[in-house]
Amino acid sequence: MRRLSSWRLGPPIMAILLILVIWQICVSLFDMPAWMLPSPVQIIQEGIAIYPRLLGHTLSTIQIALGGFAIGVSVGILLAVALHLVPQVRQSVYPLMVLSQNIPIIALAPLLVLWFGFGDLPKILIITLVCFFPVAVSLIDGFRQTSPTLKNYMQMIGASRRQIFFKLEWPSALPYFFSGLKISATYSVMGAVIAEWLGAQEGLGVFMTLASSAFRTDQVFVAIFVIMAISLILFGFILLLEKWLVPWDTDQKEAHKDGE
Amino acid sequence: MVNKLEIDGLTHTFGGQNNVHVLDDLSLSVAEGEFVTLLGPSGSGKSTIFNLIGGLFKPDQGDIFIEGERVNGQRGHISYLPQQDSLLPWRTIEDNVVLVQEITGKVDKAAAREWLERAGLGGYGASYPDVLSGGMRQRVAFIRSLLSPQELMLLDEPFGALDELTRLDMQDWLLKIWEMDRRSVLFITHSIEEALYMSDRILILSDKPARIVREIEVPFARPRHHDITLDNTFNQLKREIYQMLKVGNQND
Ligand SMILES: Nc1ncnc2c1ncn2[C@@H]1O[C@H](COP(=O)(O)OP(=O)(O)OP(=O)(O)O)[C@@H](O)[C@H]1O
Ligand SMILES: [Mg+2]
Repeated sequence: MRRLSSWRLGPPIMAILLILVIWQICVSLFDMPAWMLPSPVQIIQEGIAIYPRLLGHTLSTIQIALGGFAIGVSVGILLAVALHLVPQVRQSVYPLMVLSQNIPIIALAPLLVLWFGFGDLPKILIITLVCFFPVAVSLIDGFRQTSPTLKNYMQMIGASRRQIFFKLEWPSALPYFFSGLKISATYSVMGAVIAEWLGAQEGLGVFMTLASSAFRTDQVFVAIFVIMAISLILFGFILLLEKWLVPWDTDQKEAHKDGE
Repeated sequence: MVNKLEIDGLTHTFGGQNNVHVLDDLSLSVAEGEFVTLLGPSGSGKSTIFNLIGGLFKPDQGDIFIEGERVNGQRGHISYLPQQDSLLPWRTIEDNVVLVQEITGKVDKAAAREWLERAGLGGYGASYPDVLSGGMRQRVAFIRSLLSPQELMLLDEPFGALDELTRLDMQDWLLKIWEMDRRSVLFITHSIEEALYMSDRILILSDKPARIVREIEVPFARPRHHDITLDNTFNQLKREIYQMLKVGNQND
């Protein structure tokens, strides 16, 4: 089964285990105090101990990360399609899009809280801001990479602008879209944590701020592990979606890999 | 009877810094059910003629009539097989074959399957194009143009990228399929043998700006068989055309 074997979960899991083992050995070898660097075993023990309290924070973070991600991706798609179909707009809006990524979040977050209060809205706005960009840029590039030969062909057989978009440009940009989507997915979790950090009542960001100011380094690491796990799961889910929606591209890549 | 395709005084120059004068007062016609071949050197403007008939852009001068109707700059009147690979990689073979039908309105999957079967591609309906060989892909592309409702077929060097053996195979294959429902065909090639073997009539183009240097009626009866390539008349014609193309190039 090509599909299963190509997941190749073995090597990365081995690498992670190796790092954890080395980490564990180093901590006991140099007799590190737990507030400087706790050992993996300590972190896991702490994780189990605080599990009930952590769960609420985790769910809250997942919720706003997914919400912001969904909105950001939708905005990215809409922008990309609009800029692609109306090239005159592209020249004026594209630079603005790039500029939007230069706004320092640290400066923006308190302002958003000032304007919109401590609810979910400012957090979701921040995640949207970081998530829309990779999707929009990769989609626009994808549209522009459409094979001119195929476009000529579609025109020759009498396809309308709309048909060319849906039957040619959109599917040929899909692999690019997924590249952008993967970047956005990882940004969304990070974005959520940073947004919570800068002003919220609940969430892993809040939990981390509290833990770190109480010198509970072990709890900080628990939160980091949870954040990594959420990112990985989201990423894996997008990979699955890609396999399902872009079978021609992923199958081809696998065929090359199998040939190695 | 009115001709399927009638081209009258077609002239075209591509703008830009190095003006390319590609076509010069070119006229030709294709009758109902006729297989006409354009034979000319590379870069002489053959694909440009197709692009003009397909309405990709308008000619500087001249008119194009399909079934008596002037179609300058209008798209969707032809069935077309382009020079380069043109299957959509994200569609299965069957979905590729019905693409043109989706554009023009009526999808007939049963007919698609039947033609794929007849073309010896029955088992590949659900595969993606990248698992097929070049020859098989061109067969699929040909079936696709065969299934489009427009009656005039423009075939631009369908076998140009294939090796010699596959090419001979494909010629027989295409003729066999074509015999099943004789559509009007305008065919492009730069192989003299291919032109002689396939066509009712050959139009020999000069280098650009392309004009028709000569017209040759091919005298062989159909259905044809590769034996005719050994025939004296065949070789006589082949030599003649070869000389003509050579002279055409020397005048350059
Ligand atoms: N869109 C275009 N803009 C400018 N020049 C073009 C364009 N299309 C074709 N040409 C030029 O017109 C000439 C004829 O091109 P065309 O593709 O029609 O030749 P062809 O006979 O089909 O050649 P081949 O046998 O290699 O396919 C070439 O010199 C080409 O560079
Ligand atoms: Mg050409």
